[in-house]
Amino acid sequence: MSLRARWILIGAITGLMAWLSLPSFFSQAQRDAGHWWLRKDGLTLGLDLQGGVHWLLRIDSETAVQQELKKLKGNTEGWAEDAKISLASAELAGDSLELRGDLAGLRKVVDDNLQIVDISEQDGALVLRLSDRWKREVVDRGVQQALEVLRKRVDGLGVREPVIAPQGAGRILVQMPGVQDTGAARSVLESTTFLQFKAVLDSAPSKELLEAKLPGGIPADQEVVLSQSRDGKETEALLVPKVAILTGDMLEDARLDFDRRNRPIITFQWNNEGTAIFRDFTSAHIGDRLAAIIDNKVITAPVIQSKIGRNGQITGDFTREEAANTAVQLRSGALPIPLVIEEERTVGPSVGADSIRDGIRASLLGTSLVFIFMALYYSVTGMFANVALIVNVLILIGLMSMARATLTLPGIAGVVLTVGMAVDSNVIIYERIREELRNGKNGRAAIAAGFNRSFSTIFDSNLTTLLTAVVLLTFGRGPVQGFGVTLAIGLTASMFTALVVTRALFDFFYGANPEKLRI
Amino acid sequence: MEFFKARTNYDFIGKMKFMVTFSTVAIALSLLLIATKGFNFGIDFVGGTLVEVQIPESAGAVDEGRLREMLEKLGHADAAIVRVGPPEERTYRISLLGSQEENRDLSVQVVKGLGEGLGAEVTVKTIDSIGPRVGKELRASAIYAILFSWLGIMLYIWFRFEWQYAPGAVLALIHDVTFAAGMFSLFGWEFDMNVLAALLVIIGYSINDTIVIYDRIRETVGMRGTAELEDVVNEATNATLSRTILTSGLTQVVVVAILLLGGPVLRGFALALFIGIFVGTYSSIYVASALLIWLSRRYGHPAPAKAKARATA
Repeated sequence: MSLRARWILIGAITGLMAWLSLPSFFSQAQRDAGHWWLRKDGLTLGLDLQGGVHWLLRIDSETAVQQELKKLKGNTEGWAEDAKISLASAELAGDSLELRGDLAGLRKVVDDNLQIVDISEQDGALVLRLSDRWKREVVDRGVQQALEVLRKRVDGLGVREPVIAPQGAGRILVQMPGVQDTGAARSVLESTTFLQFKAVLDSAPSKELLEAKLPGGIPADQEVVLSQSRDGKETEALLVPKVAILTGDMLEDARLDFDRRNRPIITFQWNNEGTAIFRDFTSAHIGDRLAAIIDNKVITAPVIQSKIGRNGQITGDFTREEAANTAVQLRSGALPIPLVIEEERTVGPSVGADSIRDGIRASLLGTSLVFIFMALYYSVTGMFANVALIVNVLILIGLMSMARATLTLPGIAGVVLTVGMAVDSNVIIYERIREELRNGKNGRAAIAAGFNRSFSTIFDSNLTTLLTAVVLLTFGRGPVQGFGVTLAIGLTASMFTALVVTRALFDFFYGANPEKLRI
Repeated sequence: MEFFKARTNYDFIGKMKFMVTFSTVAIALSLLLIATKGFNFGIDFVGGTLVEVQIPESAGAVDEGRLREMLEKLGHADAAIVRVGPPEERTYRISLLGSQEENRDLSVQVVKGLGEGLGAEVTVKTIDSIGPRVGKELRASAIYAILFSWLGIMLYIWFRFEWQYAPGAVLALIHDVTFAAGMFSLFGWEFDMNVLAALLVIIGYSINDTIVIYDRIRETVGMRGTAELEDVVNEATNATLSRTILTSGLTQVVVVAILLLGGPVLRGFALALFIGIFVGTYSSIYVASALLIWLSRRYGHPAPAKAKARATA
């Protein structure tokens, strides 16, 4: 390739990379201002640098299997009744369902209705177990449902660019940049249906007084719930049935609103099923009290004034934020299967800022020392190496911005290490040129031999290091993976800068008059 | 400026016997330490929960004792508490045995409990919680990562050089990783995900260094034949010496900058690299080349056709 063509190539690549990396040197506000020369996307910072919550969640598969077995029990009872086959008992025992009665008839019914269940006979009972395929399907379905619920709930928190993605068998990765692990963040994992409506059977100013009213103790199918004022004091104890009239999973919508006195309230809408139940109940119980219970706490327990249908509202002693969060939770529905936090990494925003400051300070110092040394040790040609180094860092930041790779704290260390390794390629070439000069070659021949002889060394040594970077990328997790990305891109860039950029600089300055070479 | 005006002619090979013995003893001791004393694993590999909190001024004087009392009341008598940084930063790291896999609200309970006990809300700096299952997986993936990198490098060198070169390069890597890991075991430094990454970088650095010398040996063998392999290796090592010293020196400058200024998270990482660059440089000569000489003496060293063609061209 002619020197001119090489310059065009180098200029084009450097220009493109400079343009791609430019946004990383500007603040978010400046990027959002919409300058034509400034892209909006800079480097994506990892959670360890910008702060936030990282969770690796797992679907609680045992609970999922139990739920599925319960459903299976109900279905089997239905099928037996439809086919008029005697079913003496259907009991859950561990991870199996045991049926007793007309075993032959039951087996036929089960066979007819289910393809993928393991059936065996034991101690005069028909034992049904979920097959492995069925279990996998249950977990997969659970993951899909959980993803949907989590997405809605995280959106409701107003998180900028969250990550919510399946991650192998039964796992979900959640990353919420800029969020703290507080009650609000944690509420996205709540598995229960938050809202319950229950009829109030009795009430008293405190739990003790309510218990005193019931000499026979609290009936087995009833329970006591408390309402609390803002300062945590108990204001009333209510006796309610354990089973709710309606729960939040029949809600179609719930939002934050304000009443006439500008206090925050939650307005909601039932779906068709919920509307019917609510209308029937309220029309039959005018004058009675109805408790709205969220998270086992009574929010409000007003007297039913008239029939209520699709739309309702909950007035309570909330702050604006509480009402907004509760509305989000109500709207996104219940998590069908509980989630377990297998891994959590939360970084406070100030810690992230400290890490960036330390990382950048260390990088700048290390790189400056390398720059000064190269300029002193190799004089003018040392400056060539420094130019190559700057191009190298630009390519690194540019490619990472383009590929939307995440810069983590070990990633910053990776940038710094790349600087060390990039210098290596130049040192190999320069030492070789010096050697060739010592052996009596003239400038032109020494430059040519220096670059040519160094090629296989640089190629092989960079490629083997690249191999370890790829291993880091494949097996590493989180920040370590980020380090692998940085190292891999950096090594590729350093091969280009040492073999192409430095060479072009040599050819430009010494191509016509190699006797001027000072190295 | 030039440190090596003329080509050096140190007798590296003459000291080989002594160095090989030294390395063998060092590696044996490292393995013994790892087997008996083991590592001070971070929670990444064994599971557990770390909560780092900053106590506000309004909470009055705090020390480990006061926090321990509070944690005992919260039912965490087994928690370990260490102050991080200078006392005026009022930052403490609390290690809890359990993980949030068993108790989802573990960290929230601790943070809230401390806030109530101190009468002022504490600031959460970091929370890390790793369940036992994930810890086990991370440990397994660490071992796989190291083994696969060795295997990949072995195959690559076999492909690009001759088979006699491959075992030496990989043995050098095993040597470096074992030595660095041995140091972590000896001093009880915390072994976490970042240290693992550093071990992999050591592998990358060390192989880089080995290849530079190997490449020179290959080239010299191409010109002079394999009759005096010891001399060839000695010459190649001397020829690349200035580069070896410059590169490891410059990389070390950068690593020391990270070690001193890079902040607490990167300290273990930089420390492992600092050790690794020394042994990585050393092992290229006294492990990789030593085994190359031994294997070539025993099984012969075919001069690579490619290098020959290039040398005569």
